Amino acid sequence: MRRFVRQAALAAMLVILFSCTAPALAAVDIPYDSYTYNYREYIEFTPAPYVPAGAISGMTLGVGSFKNPQDIAIAPDGMIYVADTDNDRIVVVNAEMTEAVAVIETFDNDGERDRFNRPFGVTVSEKNLLYVADANNNRVVVLDGEKAVQIIDNPQSEMLPDDYIFSPLKVAVDYADRAYVVAQNMHQGIMVFSAAGDFQSFFGTIEVRTTLWQRFWRRFSTKEQRERQILFITREFTGVDVDPQGFVYASYIDTQGEQAVFRLNPKGEDVIKTGENGNLGGDLLYRPSQAGALYGASYMVDVIIRDKGIYSLLDSKRGRIFTYDNEGNLLYIFGGLGTQAGTFRAPCSLADAGDKILVLDTDRQEILIFSETEYGRLINEAVGLRYDGDEKLAVDIWRQVLALNENLELANVGIGKAYLSEGDNREAMTYLRLGMNRTYYSIAFKRYRNDLLKDNLGYILTAAVVAALALYIWNTVKHKGAGKGDLLTDD
Amino acid sequence: MTRYFSRDKVYYFRRVLTNPADAFYEIRHREQGSIPLALITVFIFCLCYTFNNILSGFVVNLTDPRTVNGLVDLQSIFVIYMLFCIGNWSITCLMEGEGRLRDIMTVTGYAILPLIITTIPAIIISNVLAANEEVFYSIIIGFGVAWTALLILIGIMTVHNYTLLKTVITLFLTLVAMLLIIFLALLLYDLLNQVFIFFQSVYTELILRG
Repeated sequence: MRRFVRQAALAAMLVILFSCTAPALAAVDIPYDSYTYNYREYIEFTPAPYVPAGAISGMTLGVGSFKNPQDIAIAPDGMIYVADTDNDRIVVVNAEMTEAVAVIETFDNDGERDRFNRPFGVTVSEKNLLYVADANNNRVVVLDGEKAVQIIDNPQSEMLPDDYIFSPLKVAVDYADRAYVVAQNMHQGIMVFSAAGDFQSFFGTIEVRTTLWQRFWRRFSTKEQRERQILFITREFTGVDVDPQGFVYASYIDTQGEQAVFRLNPKGEDVIKTGENGNLGGDLLYRPSQAGALYGASYMVDVIIRDKGIYSLLDSKRGRIFTYDNEGNLLYIFGGLGTQAGTFRAPCSLADAGDKILVLDTDRQEILIFSETEYGRLINEAVGLRYDGDEKLAVDIWRQVLALNENLELANVGIGKAYLSEGDNREAMTYLRLGMNRTYYSIAFKRYRNDLLKDNLGYILTAAVVAALALYIWNTVKHKGAGKGDLLTDD
Repeated sequence: MTRYFSRDKVYYFRRVLTNPADAFYEIRHREQGSIPLALITVFIFCLCYTFNNILSGFVVNLTDPRTVNGLVDLQSIFVIYMLFCIGNWSITCLMEGEGRLRDIMTVTGYAILPLIITTIPAIIISNVLAANEEVFYSIIIGFGVAWTALLILIGIMTVHNYTLLKTVITLFLTLVAMLLIIFLALLLYDLLNQVFIFFQSVYTELILRG
């Protein structure tokens, strides 16, 4: 008995302790807001999907501080490669992010020791070959360990101007060892190189689009005015990544804030899906003019493909990370500029390390680590299940998401769609309406309406016949009465 | 009271719908109309308008419920109604129109009736519509708008004893007059405001100096 009392007292104490600390835990200082946009394009704050989990820099790794690092990449074996641009080296960090396993400053190029000159971009192929966009040496170096197995340089094509200087900034490689290179001052598109290293074509080329209105104004503006207007140039690509199926995701600067990423099929056509609002451009609400320091649409500097068709975009203007699923639905937004730990000054590159997201900050010269919270994990998992076609399994997870964030339209739509495929149209309607999804609501509603009609057709027809009969009888009676009245007055 | 709300006056709405030209003629010359009834019609239309924003089916209703405000709807519709009537009256006075202000108000109010009797079924039907069927809803609403427009045209024409062309011209001029009234009202408001501020600052000055 005494033991029981002691245990009870202990339990009570624990309960009190946790009830005191739980709000404190919930309010742990996350130095940024996490939010999403709802159907009406209002900002809706959400629990944080990712929270800061420290940072690694050249100092913590013991290799001397990074200097203007520009790109990070993660190898299939989990190693992290950092393009330490102004130090002319590539730093390789182990998967646990505790130490630098290697620092590649020189490499064996056909028997000679060779060096990088401002390596901007770095990526690792499925065959674990390291591709380095060696910008000032005008080449892409393919390394196996410390030995160069291929050098991609001096692209030859009649599509390129004669005095073209190849200066690669970002590089990505697909399963067939084709290299996709974003090069400086190359506005015609992403340069595609074959496995042999020959320049093949441009990717993501799009003709300049001007509206009639813009052309009308240009006609009436003076030369000075025209010079001050925005230049109508084609996309400026900023980041590139290739998914396992060979689709190329490329982020670019979209000043209109409508779409900042392409998903290019092997023919080079954009096949990306957009969600209900048709927007893939990051923030929907922003200061439109030059009224403040931060104005204009999001400035996407990198894209990474994550598991199950999810991809993330990095906005360097406001330091936010936007995550979309394969259907183009906005999942969550987090991150922010600042000087606190866990905020950015000049984020430039993203990497996905399983349940962590790494962001390279040029100015802070460190890699910031963000680890998944339960909220983020549940969303990722549910979207993944839907991607695999297990919508039924996703329902439970969406319900847990709703418990954390009741207003999330995404979760309501997820549950609604699952009910719809199950055939429970009534429930599907409820959830799809909460999720503001008119298309799927209509499908559910149509089916529900048909069922209702089918079940009750007998009653409806009976009621119609009875009503018609009643009307007929009433009319006859009334006319008789009216006739009598007429007769009486005539008399 | 019976002058305004008699049973015959209420039943007279039916005649407006079925036989508008005659009905409006009798409103002008045989005192068949009633201004309170016209105002009630406008009021009911305000209700219908707000209910349409709130209650019409999810598939057709794109209105953000947070922006719906019945009082604002009421005010704005009545302001537009009065602006139209006064604008029309001030124009037709100069263009040999025979109608009095009360005739214009009655006729315009009565002419809104079709909008009411189409909005209510439209709200009901919109609740059983799915995607791709919204067109039924818009047809009903569009029908009501067209009917009302026609009734206003006939009403103004009959009340003033105008030809069709002259009616169309006066309706256009009415629009101009409405804009002018708004402009003058804003101007007046601004000027009065300045006068008020002047006296206020004189008062403040006196208080502080004295």
